[in-house]
Amino acid sequence: MKLSINKSRSLWWTISAAIILAGIISMVISWQQPNIHAPLRPGLDFIGGTRLQFVRDCTKPGNCDKPININAVREVAKAQGLGDSSIQLISENGAENGVLIRTKDLTVDQRTKLQNSLSEEIGVFDPQKNQIDSVGPTLGKELLRSGLLALIVSFIGITIYMSFRFQLDYAVFAIVALFHDILITVGAFSILGLVAGIEVDSLFIVALLTITGFSVNDTVVIYDRIRETIKINPEHPIAEIVDDAVNQTLTRSINTTLTVLLTLTSIFLFGGETLRYFALALIIGFTMGAYSSIFIASTLLTWWRERDESQVVESVEPIDTSASSQDS
Amino acid sequence: MQRQRSLLILILVLIIAAFTVIATIPIPLGLDLRGGSQLTIQVKPSAEIPKITERELEGVKRVVEGRINGLGVSEPVIQTVGSDKILVQLPGVNDPEQAERVLGGTAQLEFRTQKPNTETQLLAFQASRAELKAKQEELRKSTDKAAIAKNQEDLQKNNQAIAELFESTNPPLSGKYLKDAYGEPTQGKNWHVTIRFDQKGGELFANLTKNLAGTGRAIGVFLDNELISAPSVGIEFAAAGITGGSAIITGRFTAQEANDLGVQLRGGALPVPVEIAERRTVGATLGKDSIQSSIYAGVGGLTLVLIFMVVYYRLPGLIADVSLVIYSLLTWATFALLGVTLTLPGIAGFILSIGMAVDANVLIFERTREELRAGKSLYRSVESGFYRAFSSILDSNVTTWIACAALFWLGSGLVKGFALTLALGVAVSMFTAITCSRTLLFLAISIPSLRKTELFCPNLPTSNKAEVTP
Repeated sequence: MKLSINKSRSLWWTISAAIILAGIISMVISWQQPNIHAPLRPGLDFIGGTRLQFVRDCTKPGNCDKPININAVREVAKAQGLGDSSIQLISENGAENGVLIRTKDLTVDQRTKLQNSLSEEIGVFDPQKNQIDSVGPTLGKELLRSGLLALIVSFIGITIYMSFRFQLDYAVFAIVALFHDILITVGAFSILGLVAGIEVDSLFIVALLTITGFSVNDTVVIYDRIRETIKINPEHPIAEIVDDAVNQTLTRSINTTLTVLLTLTSIFLFGGETLRYFALALIIGFTMGAYSSIFIASTLLTWWRERDESQVVESVEPIDTSASSQDS
Repeated sequence: MQRQRSLLILILVLIIAAFTVIATIPIPLGLDLRGGSQLTIQVKPSAEIPKITERELEGVKRVVEGRINGLGVSEPVIQTVGSDKILVQLPGVNDPEQAERVLGGTAQLEFRTQKPNTETQLLAFQASRAELKAKQEELRKSTDKAAIAKNQEDLQKNNQAIAELFESTNPPLSGKYLKDAYGEPTQGKNWHVTIRFDQKGGELFANLTKNLAGTGRAIGVFLDNELISAPSVGIEFAAAGITGGSAIITGRFTAQEANDLGVQLRGGALPVPVEIAERRTVGATLGKDSIQSSIYAGVGGLTLVLIFMVVYYRLPGLIADVSLVIYSLLTWATFALLGVTLTLPGIAGFILSIGMAVDANVLIFERTREELRAGKSLYRSVESGFYRAFSSILDSNVTTWIACAALFWLGSGLVKGFALTLALGVAVSMFTAITCSRTLLFLAISIPSLRKTELFCPNLPTSNKAEVTP
């Protein structure tokens, strides 16, 4: 079976454009939501605030007899001027014995007060299972800024390395494919934020950077094959060379993505709450990374080089083609 | 063959070394795994100090250190982060309220006068304090919480007793009047500490020293209500006190001690407001649960990958599996050697790197199969599989390193941990997936019964099967 990706490249481009568009629409909608007001639902890490997670101590007799009344928790929060907090019940070992409360940044005293009145209302908490995170708003902004900066820096670094190892047009399309993967992942989480209330934290930025590394990784392998084939058969049409290169590396692309997805699925299923959405972001991004290397980066390169070739045919004196292609 | 043999020995040595390292050096667990509190203290510029420099930050760090010691926590970590932050990790503390209260305030430095007729008492208290402090140092290395708490209580009582021997001047000569303090070398080996006051502070200091000169009573320099120095004033200043707004504290200071006191004084003198910008607390049981689930994730992921490789790639797959296990061992040992603190994202990076480490072998084996299908001999196919996949492997790993470098350079604590573990993982995988796999595969080929192409590439067209030529 041979896949001729270049024949139906407008199809692949349309599919990608549609997914990206869906993500962008979701980001716009998300931006207009008064309670989000950002392309993605930002978590504690970025906007600051306090997140409290308490679990009742069920070893104490009678402590966990009654289920937690979420309205009672709301009342307690409201009484302390925290009416707009988000409150969720969390289950542990099948029983809903914990609460997760997200509020604005609380001082120590405010927090202690809330914790004590909650404890009075619904039962004694086990301090061994508490999780309290508090981030000031300035730190959040800094985290976001440094994260985005890291992303840009690695983009630049990769472009420089690729144009040094390959050629500038290879590098540019690798970056295009990269943007494609990042955009789709961000779009997917924007939709998840709208639909399921999933927030992004600083681990999401880490995920985006890892996707960056991996996506290029995949593209490089195919490029490597294209370059090798061009060296052996310089007179072959570029579409054929690219098709061959993709087909020769296809099994590898599938197998590598599969092994990584195996470990990621394992993290997603067993890795615990903190790592779940991190793994999900990677699963989406890596799958897209494999897809875009095959269907986007390669087809774009073919399209570009074909334009290049036709220019060479048209021009009376074929001079430096790689340079002339840049300013057209 | 000579080269193969020495490589084999090298691999064996590395494995043994890795086992030894893993057995002897435990990997420290991050707070998200062992439970405890992490606080990020932001030092803010003020009207007097418009820009935080390293000097100020060092001073504030010292104040924070002093306060943490006062809390009696075992194995605290205090480090400066960036240009204006201090990171404090308090393992095992589930209830950070006290720490937050103690750490959040601006340092209080004050110069007080010793009450009359308390000289012998002061000496006795100072001696017992020195003892308690020495014991504290020792205890902090242990995890005996009861002993630490007891020692802490004794120290506090002692501090209180010392504080009662002194009284504030009226108005109090506090740190806000102190402009600077630093250690300076005197002639010879000794060092002294120079302190400078502003005008008002200078007047108050002159007054204070006039009263104390020649009496044998000391100036009590208190930082957060704890005596940090008790110099006395010579009789020659009895007339007017030490005027001019600057003074020198002499003593048998070493360079280290003089700088220390200078830093302490500066930290206490600076009216730099601090604010707790971030606090994260994880209960101990919660951390334990996280370790459990990440172990499941790791073992689960690794097993699936191992099975896949054998099923798909046969004999080379099995060898890749051996390399993968060696990879896990070596990476773990590297973490231990470099003192990487294991955090939740760090574990994720490690597990992920296992999945990615296979990539190099997949590339190589796919190449090998291609060569076999093209009718080359087994030996040549394996050889060129390794040779021709190398540039792809290198290029793809370099791009991952670039992303890691960006993360490490610009990221904060947790993010840095992830970047480091992933980058190390990729580096080790270059060795195991290429050198280890290669050596082991050639070792396997040297055994005649394993020299069958079906073990490398099933469903190879019979016409393409080539005889093996060693």
